[in-house]
Amino acid sequence: MNYKNKTNKEKNKVIFTCFMFVFVLFIIANITGTAQDNLFPITLIDDSGFKIVINEKPERIISAAPSNTEIIYTLNLEDKLVGRSDFCNYPDETKDIESIGKMSPLNLEKIISLNPDLVLSYGGFQLKDIPRLRDLGINVLVIRSDTIQEMIQGIGLIAHACGIPEKGEELISQINERINWISFQVMASSRQKPKVFVGSNFDSIWSPGNGTLFHELITLAGGENILGNQQGWVSISPELVAEREPDIILVPTGIMNPEEISKIKKDIMSHPGWSNIPAIKNNQIFAVNEDLFYRAGPRLVDGLELLYEIFNRKK
Amino acid sequence: MKYLTEKNNKYLYGYPNWKYKAFFVLVFGFIAILITGFIGLNFGTISIQPQKILSILWHHNTSDSLGIIIWELRIPRLIMAMLAGMTLAGVGGAFQGILRNPLADPYILGVSAGAALGACTGIALQYITGTYLTNILPIFALIGSFISMFLVYFFSKNKSHLPMTDLLLAGVAVNFFFSALITLLLAVSNRELHSMIFWLMGDLSNSSWQKISIIFLPVFAGSFLLIFSSLELNAMALGEEEALHLGIQTEKLRLRIFVIGSVMIAIVVSFTGLIGFVGLVIPHIARLIVGPDHRIMLPVSALIGAIFLILCDTIARTVLAPTEIPIGAITAIIGAPLFIHLLKRRNENNEY
Repeated sequence: MNYKNKTNKEKNKVIFTCFMFVFVLFIIANITGTAQDNLFPITLIDDSGFKIVINEKPERIISAAPSNTEIIYTLNLEDKLVGRSDFCNYPDETKDIESIGKMSPLNLEKIISLNPDLVLSYGGFQLKDIPRLRDLGINVLVIRSDTIQEMIQGIGLIAHACGIPEKGEELISQINERINWISFQVMASSRQKPKVFVGSNFDSIWSPGNGTLFHELITLAGGENILGNQQGWVSISPELVAEREPDIILVPTGIMNPEEISKIKKDIMSHPGWSNIPAIKNNQIFAVNEDLFYRAGPRLVDGLELLYEIFNRKK
Repeated sequence: MKYLTEKNNKYLYGYPNWKYKAFFVLVFGFIAILITGFIGLNFGTISIQPQKILSILWHHNTSDSLGIIIWELRIPRLIMAMLAGMTLAGVGGAFQGILRNPLADPYILGVSAGAALGACTGIALQYITGTYLTNILPIFALIGSFISMFLVYFFSKNKSHLPMTDLLLAGVAVNFFFSALITLLLAVSNRELHSMIFWLMGDLSNSSWQKISIIFLPVFAGSFLLIFSSLELNAMALGEEEALHLGIQTEKLRLRIFVIGSVMIAIVVSFTGLIGFVGLVIPHIARLIVGPDHRIMLPVSALIGAIFLILCDTIARTVLAPTEIPIGAITAIIGAPLFIHLLKRRNENNEY
């Protein structure tokens, strides 16, 4: 009897058995994979391309950036956090953890005195201090995210480095689910995309263009960034804003732009040459917490949901 | 040069006993540096008992974290501050001598702006190309400062002459031009801005034994070469004409000091960033204390520079700990009032 002569039913049976076999294998692999002693030592390539070997499960972690601190808290690793940067302000409990100072230059003396077995750095302007820290025998993991996808990979990296890969996978799938839901809603919607302008500090306007997290979030949430054709954060003239006629103005507030929102709103409303902008005529100016858009942590998804909500408000 | 024998020099400038003075000053200076160094060692983000520090020093203990903090972080940093202070103040004094200008500092001949532009270009390239260049930033800075040195020399050279005013003006022009380029670079960059600004304000936090081993030899060799030119600098202090009459080849002297000083500054600055004020005012303080004889004034200037920078760095590390203040901000805040005070006192006492 050759394969061709099998009935449909028999065929299904073969396929089902195959599936069961693979499934059982998968479970076995998973069980052996989760066994503690198999996880360490682990070799990881971090976002600066450095090969880092972690011999034991880290018990004393320093997070040198707010984004990493937030990831640590979402992964429930806060018991192991022994140091954080001055800028780590979320969640509130971080204030009980010892600070290692500003993000750059890293205070090597402080870091060494805390005896960490893992330092989570943001890279970027911290890169210059990292080789020195590694020379002094400290494991440094660089997590550098310029896109949401990279932020998600960063969560995976930290989860692996800390010996809780399953917890990381779980968090990642939750995040992906929330993002996918919004993507689906946006795709299904037939509304016209609102034109969005992000403006802060109206003395000299800095606004995010293509390649920034903010731009990515606006696009994902179904908006159109008026600076989508520019690269990176750009300093722009007020004329450009008037010409592009945004429907919505977002004002990030927080440490970087601590001004009162009512004052900023007044500044925008009375900005010379902007009276014809739809966002100003329809009073579509929204203050948003900048941390949800600047920080490459899990709260980016909160930012995404907030934007979606703003874009789909009933006027 | 042949007229500048010991005897003539004494006769001309009336600096008897300079050897005793120099001996006393050097011994006193080294003791002062050791004491300041130990004081500096005691301060930092982490407080460590002095007895503990002494025992770590004595046993050369680098196994635990305190040992690492002392031997790998604090001591290299102290030595780096010392070397930078020596170089800046010593070269500043020599430049003031050859340019006969009290406002001259080691940066006036364009080296600093060149180094800064080199380093900022390196930082910008690092972000643009995505390659890691931090370790070779000093090379960028060095190339930048050599380019600016060459430009200053090229622009001020008049046939075979190197006129003083032209040298100064060319230095100022190159400085302004390079500073404008840096501003341009700062305007078009955003993520790399922070690193650049920190570099521009001076940063000793990255000192290591390796860096010290690189700058040690040039700094000491250069310092000796400068000090050996002291007699000629003394003659220059009388005026260019007078120095010529005494047989000093002022053009050659100027070129020599310019090249030695600039190379020293370029090497130091490429590791520490721009630390301002020290090179301008410390030589004046030295002059107020020991008088204008370069044979004593230059070493004293270097010693005071070293002590001053060690103290400033200690303050920069501790005042806002665990956050560090750029050392360039501290030097001027502390130095300017100190200088004004000394100046006032001199005027009241009507010394020399």
